[in-house]
This record gives sequence, C-alpha cells and structure tokens, in this order.
Amino acid sequence: MIEGTLVNLRAPEMGDLERNTRWINDREVTRFLSVRYELSSAAEEGWLRELASKPMSYERPFFAIATKDDVHIGNVNLFAVVPEDRKCELGIMIGEKAYWSQGYGTDALRTIVRFAFEEMNLNRVQLHVFAYNDRAFAAYRKAGFVEEGRRRQAHYADGAYHDAIVMSVLRDEWQP
Amino acid sequence: MIEGTLVNLRAPETGDLERNTRWYNDRDVTRFLSVRYEISSTEKGWLRDLPSKPMSYDEVFFAIDTKDGVHIGNVNLSGVVPEDRACTLGITIGEKAYWSRGYGTDAVRTVLRFAFDEMNLNRVQLGVLAYNHRAYAAYKRAGFVEEVRQRQARYAHGAYHDSIVMSVLREEWQP
Amino acid sequence: MIEGKLVNLRAREMTDVDRMYRWINDREVTRYLNMRYAISYLAEEAWVRASVEAPMGYERPGFAIETKHGQHIGTINFHLVTPEDRATSLGIMIGEQSHWSRGYGTDAMLTFMRFGFEEMNLNRIELTVDAANARARACYRKCGLTDEARLRQHRFAGGAYGDTVLMGILRSEWRRKSTETEGTR
Repeated sequence: MIEGTLVNLRAPEMGDLERNTRWINDREVTRFLSVRYELSSAAEEGWLRELASKPMSYERPFFAIATKDDVHIGNVNLFAVVPEDRKCELGIMIGEKAYWSQGYGTDALRTIVRFAFEEMNLNRVQLHVFAYNDRAFAAYRKAGFVEEGRRRQAHYADGAYHDAIVMSVLRDEWQP
Repeated sequence: MIEGTLVNLRAPETGDLERNTRWYNDRDVTRFLSVRYEISSTEKGWLRDLPSKPMSYDEVFFAIDTKDGVHIGNVNLSGVVPEDRACTLGITIGEKAYWSRGYGTDAVRTVLRFAFDEMNLNRVQLGVLAYNHRAYAAYKRAGFVEEVRQRQARYAHGAYHDSIVMSVLREEWQP
Repeated sequence: MIEGKLVNLRAREMTDVDRMYRWINDREVTRYLNMRYAISYLAEEAWVRASVEAPMGYERPGFAIETKHGQHIGTINFHLVTPEDRATSLGIMIGEQSHWSRGYGTDAMLTFMRFGFEEMNLNRIELTVDAANARARACYRKCGLTDEARLRQHRFAGGAYGDTVLMGILRSEWRRKSTETEGTR
C-alpha cells in the first residue's frame, strides 16, 4: 500500500468489480476519459481479473484509490512506461462523484507522482486532459503539472471536436 | 499506387526486407527515429511482417519509390482512431542520397492527401525530435503546425531531448 | 550498426551459428566462462534462433562483435536489465583466439558500455569474472570497472574451488572517464 495524505493506493481486487463497472458506465464520469462505449460486467470482469491476477510491474502499475477509511473511490495508473526515456503517461479516474472537488484526486496524483519519481526512478510523467475538463486541469496544476501544448481537435465527443492538453512534470522541477 | 509529384507510394513487398533491414540498422538514419537497438535480418518483428499484413484503416504502411521505381524509404499512418478521425504519421527516408532533395516533403504531402481525401480523417499528427531540424522544416513546408513541446521526452546520445508534436487539420490543409 | 574504433556491434544472424558453435565448444575460449558441458549444434542453433527472432529490446540486448573488415569475432550482451534500478550485468566472449590481446575486447566493451549509458540510459553496469582470468580483469579495469566484491569459492572447476570477482562501473564514473580520455567517440 502506498500512503498519501487523504488516500492510499492499493492493488486492484476482484471485490472492486461492481464499483468499477458502475463507474465505467457512468457518462458523467467517462465524459472526461477516452471511454466511449458501454462495458458489460462480463467484459469488465475479464479486464479486472487480468489486472488483479498479474503481479504489478514497471510496465503498467495500476492502483485502486481508497480513502483512509478504506472506501474505494477511483483508480490511477501509469502506462506507456519507456525505461530508456524514463517516462510514462498517467491516467486517473475518481469514480465516486461524491468525492469530487475535495482534494482526493489531487492527493492521489501527488502520491503516484512521488511513486513514479522515488520508487520507479522515472524522469518524466505526462498526461492528457480534455480542454473542457477544468476541474482536472486545476488539480493537475496543483499537483505540479505544467502545460506543454494542445493537440488540436484531438478528441471527438458530444458532437464536436475538442483539444487535448498535454501536461507533464519533470523530476528536476518536482517538489514532493 | 498513390502518385505524388516526385514519389509514388506503394504497398511493402518481401523484396524490401533487405533494404529496410539495412536502413533501420544505420544509425545516421535511426538517430532521428524511435529505433534504439539493432535488427537482425531474421527477426520476427514488424519489418518481416510488413508485406503479409493487408493494408487497412488501422495499418497504413507505404513504401516510397521515386518515379523511376527506386525504393528510398517508408511512410505510415498509425494509431488511427476512427471516432476522433485522427492518426499519427511516421516517415523514414532510408537512402541518404535522397535527403534534402524534396522527396520526403513530397511523400508527406502525398500521404496527407490520402489521409484527408481517401481515409476521411480530420487530424494528422506526428512527433519530431527537437534536434531534427531538417525534418522539422520539411513538415512545416508540408503544412504541419507545432503544438506541443514534450520536455525531456527522449533519451538518446547521452542526453534528454525534447520531442515536438506537430499536426495538420483538415480545415487548414491545402493540397 | 554500432560503430567502435576497432569493432562494430551488429544484430546476430543465423549465419553466426557455425562460428558460435565452434567457440562455445572450445575449452580455451570457455575456460573462464560459465560453461561446463559440451553444447550440440542443434542447441546452439536454437539459442541463436531464439535470440534473433525476438526483436532486440531493453531486457536483453545482445550483439555480434565484428571487426571493421566484417569478420565476426565474438558476442556481447546485457542480462536482466532492471528499469527501476537502471542496472544490468554484462557478458562478453571473444571467440576468435587470434583476436585476443589486440584491443578488440576492450573496444567492444567500451562501445557497448557507451550504448548502455548513452542510448539505454543505464546507471550501473556490472559483471563477474573468474579471479584467475588476468587478461579479462585487466581489460575490464582499462574500461573503467572497479572491483566491488570477491565471491569466495564461488565456482568449482578443474578439481578446485575458485573465487569470482564482481566488478562494476557507474554512469558518473563513465562520464568522468569519457571526458578525461578521448574514449571511443
């Protein structure tokens, strides 16, 4: 378990299935993600089982986010890890809407970024955020991410094209 | 065959393998690409599989020939997302004698036209290493706009380098 | 192709099998390596095939060593590169005895280490060497590796126990060494 201030990061478990399935089919949650379609619980179970049965490793560390009272509120993961470049991409979802805008997301971000730099020995953590996702953009800034540019019309959703903002934090500028 | 002004784009063939293997093991060429290691001629990897994969929306890979039929490089579109109508372009001119003579720029223009007019895409992006000035200039000439500078995104030759994301959108593209 | 001063490093090919089979069964070549048994042609061919068919990558990069005239003289590789530690273990064999003690091994080492530090972004390269292998230890020292540990009675061969020496070099030491000497740039 990786300890943050408001949250802990732990390995995904099969007991997370019902929650994950509910979140991934909640369009208020997924409109900020690159999920488009509906996911059956069977498909979600297959995905979770694969995740939960393989040892977590450098290639794709995937964590469940739990409050200090052990309430599972979302997931956060690093992917596209390139060892030679010591870089990765980050994705996060706070599925429980009741926990939005209370600092949990920011704390999960800070915690995994610290893990990326101090345990995985990475140099760069990057992420994408859709231009209309103001709440997340603010949280990423608070967690130390810097905007590097916008990929124009990179994402089609809700009847229109939207920009995807690329943000990153480098080891040499990161403050724990 | 997709016809450009200086080049034609055609499907990869088994006869290309030897040339491709030579190019992707030439560090003068690969220092601008994401290739790091050496490729054996018997490697069961992407080079060998090229001619057997039918070209399709998800896998667009062209060999670049001069009008005289000389194979000088390859160009491809990858990561095509149909809902976003977006893709990523990659190009290699493996024959160094054909650098800085307009062949690369013409290949890029030709594949862009294909992407917009045949595949009905809306956005073509690419990544270029900050020290690859020749390619950067060619991409600008072909209509690409700089969007993102990914800091320290690539480690090579003993140092971190920035990687630049460029793109061209259908609405601004001029054939 | 990775270019050194005396050697080039290239991907292995199936046409290397005959030579590698000859080297791996030459007791003078393998005297200080971790080889006790005889290796059949089929086994060696299978090993080379497995190594050439899988795309070379971070975990296990391995190269054939060639002279500048294209003569295949040996093999060099990293085992078990761990990305978090940015550390790996190196193995090298110069199979052609005619090319011993002429700088080829040293140049192959320096060229490969430069690739490890400057293209793979490693922080530490280590290797183990038989304590009695004076020629190799001298070569490794010339390449900047230092003794870190002596593993006592680590290996049994020729009727007796012998020690193994663990040597290592760090990125910071490589950098210092590269700026001091001309190196293989």
